[in-house]
Amino acid sequence: MSTTNLIVAGVGGQGVILATEILGNAALKENFDVVISEIHGMAQRGGAVVSHVRIGRKVYSPTVVEGLADAILGLEPVEVLRSLRYASDRTKIVTSKRCVIPPSVSMGVAEYPSLEQIVGMYRRFTQHITLIDAFTLAEEAGSARTQNIVLVGALAATRVLPFKNDTLKSCIQERVPRKYLEANLKAFDLGYTEASC
Amino acid sequence: MAREAGIYMEYSTNEMVALEVAAGASMSGARAICSMKMVGLNVASDVLMTLAYTGVRGGLVVISADDPDCFSSQNEQDNRYYSLLANVPCLEPSNPQEAKDMLLSALRLSEDFELPVMLRLVTRVSHARKPVVFGPVGTKSQDTKFLRDVKRFVMVPSNARPRHLVLLEKMDRVKKIAEESSLNAVLGEGSLGVVTSGVSFNYCMEALNLLDLKASVLKLGFANPLPTKLITSFLKEHDPVIVVEELEPFLELHIRSIAQGAAVHHRILGKLSDPSYLPRNGELSMRLVLSAICKVLARPTPVDFQDIEDRSRMAEGLSPPRPPVLCPGCPHMASFHAIKVATGGKAVCATDIGCYALGAQPPLSVGDVMLCMGASAGISSGISKVVEDPVVGVVGDSTFFHASIPGLINAVYNKHKFVYVVLDNCTTAMTNFQPHPGTGVTGLGELSKRILIEDVAKGCGVDFVMVTDPYDLKYTISTIKEALEYKGPAVVISRHKCAILESQERRAKGKKTVLFEIDEEKCTECTACIKLLGCPALVVSQGNVSIDSILCVGCGVCAQVCPYVAIRES
Repeated sequence: MSTTNLIVAGVGGQGVILATEILGNAALKENFDVVISEIHGMAQRGGAVVSHVRIGRKVYSPTVVEGLADAILGLEPVEVLRSLRYASDRTKIVTSKRCVIPPSVSMGVAEYPSLEQIVGMYRRFTQHITLIDAFTLAEEAGSARTQNIVLVGALAATRVLPFKNDTLKSCIQERVPRKYLEANLKAFDLGYTEASC
Repeated sequence: MAREAGIYMEYSTNEMVALEVAAGASMSGARAICSMKMVGLNVASDVLMTLAYTGVRGGLVVISADDPDCFSSQNEQDNRYYSLLANVPCLEPSNPQEAKDMLLSALRLSEDFELPVMLRLVTRVSHARKPVVFGPVGTKSQDTKFLRDVKRFVMVPSNARPRHLVLLEKMDRVKKIAEESSLNAVLGEGSLGVVTSGVSFNYCMEALNLLDLKASVLKLGFANPLPTKLITSFLKEHDPVIVVEELEPFLELHIRSIAQGAAVHHRILGKLSDPSYLPRNGELSMRLVLSAICKVLARPTPVDFQDIEDRSRMAEGLSPPRPPVLCPGCPHMASFHAIKVATGGKAVCATDIGCYALGAQPPLSVGDVMLCMGASAGISSGISKVVEDPVVGVVGDSTFFHASIPGLINAVYNKHKFVYVVLDNCTTAMTNFQPHPGTGVTGLGELSKRILIEDVAKGCGVDFVMVTDPYDLKYTISTIKEALEYKGPAVVISRHKCAILESQERRAKGKKTVLFEIDEEKCTECTACIKLLGCPALVVSQGNVSIDSILCVGCGVCAQVCPYVAIRES
């Protein structure tokens, strides 16, 4: 069996690490070998965060080879741009449409590109692009904080993940606070349905 | 977790103290582990150098986590060299499972030879997660008492000289262990030889698989001492031999010397060869290792990396930068703004290690020098002796306790004049909120005496010591101004709990946070709030300033800087 290579990219505080952990735990639960590597820089919030997930029978490298990602899961559209070096024409991009404006843009020293420009750039790498209104779906699920799980659901719909949805859901159940469990499971389903259409 | 396992743990004030505590426990027969990042070992090195002479009794392992690529560090030093300098064994795991297994090997080795042993990790081992299989839980060492042995533990010159010989003799014996150890292994067959260690091993294995290459890989678990005989026979059987390692050509240097000693003339390719195949800076990647192997074999890489590079450069060009920033409502933001206003932006500022190093970025731009933990006091002193401009030193609470106190005492004693602003957010925020002596809680969660920074500063002999809350901008600015007028070193403690911690505590208590919003009738879109503070919760979108209600923590500092009083409680 070949290795499944995933990149999860977003902004500190969005839940990149939690989404990564859930994907990793699901792989473990189905007896895959898995390695996760995360880089979150110096700050607690607001900086770019990217993590690598590699799933297979035997995986060594903690990071994905450039050009060989099976999927890039974006919690923020510009953060996917920064991770495009891992994409090829067979990579599936699943990303939230909602922009998080960095302070550099608010200060007027940098510009935030339009969604059309961003997607145009994605298309230079791959045509398999799923844009998700994760924020609205997360609010519909009951909490804006479940955007990451909406996107995990959407990723599951692209069929790149080598494990079952139920396994993923049970990992969500184990990992999120009980108070938010219902919202998270609903978020997963909403994301899954949205990406399946 | 430590308490459940019946293990004593502590966050020591700095790495030197930590290794001293561990050494004392080990000399008394207990097993001890002392972990730190690579620059921490610079601080602890004074202990390590001589601890190698005295040796230990209970197993003692020093864990050094190196940070190739400086993900969150001020340099990318390769601490394998410390094992050479101190002449102590060093093991290098390649993944989390090995990190756990080698820790036990290191403890056994340490006890067998009564030597401190280093375990060298890197970011991609420490920040990687993999399934780890546990073994049975071991028993604690029973032989815990301090056995008086002056010739061994009191390192006056007459005792140190013979102990150096003891160390050399011990390491000769460890070398024999390294020759036979299963921690060094040869995998696969082929005329191409690859010598590697630690995290680099992973890249080699996958690169060889991806290229479908027959090659033989010598994986060295021992970085020091190296198994000379094993390496010699590997060199004799393979040509060329590629050495794949991160950062310094540590293995390569030794392998070249071993080849010279054994008169093996096979090609050794790596960082010291001409041409060189791998960089001496940054972390390795699959791309770098694949490219190196393909370059050696004169074949194309399986992925067109140049094409990817060209296209991703365009993609990155379109991306506004998103470096780490101070969090929404961070009290440091207010402190930096106050320093800037009080000094008219004219001060030279020596900052220190912590979240607040981010204050050196625009728009706050407070921070002209930053070297290492605690250096702000000494550097401020040096600058103040030379230049006429006001000098401000900035240090965090945990860094203050770590290494700035001798610098502060020196400033008082040698009559240096600068303002030392201690940014006290009542935690160690950058590394996940560990307690420190100023919090009154220990690493085991026990209540302890809360050591106040103002008391320490006064105890160091500082006569001007004031405490402010940075969320009260006006008072903080006037306090710093007053401090600038003072004739000697002046300490201003700018104290407010870390915004993340404070919001978490508020949420846990079920308290509501009063957020702030823009009064659109009054706002002129001058963006002064953003230009002065750079708070991530302040957002400009289509020319309109707004406050992101998810990010805002209700600190109210922006309302204090708005020239049009257009920010109000919502």
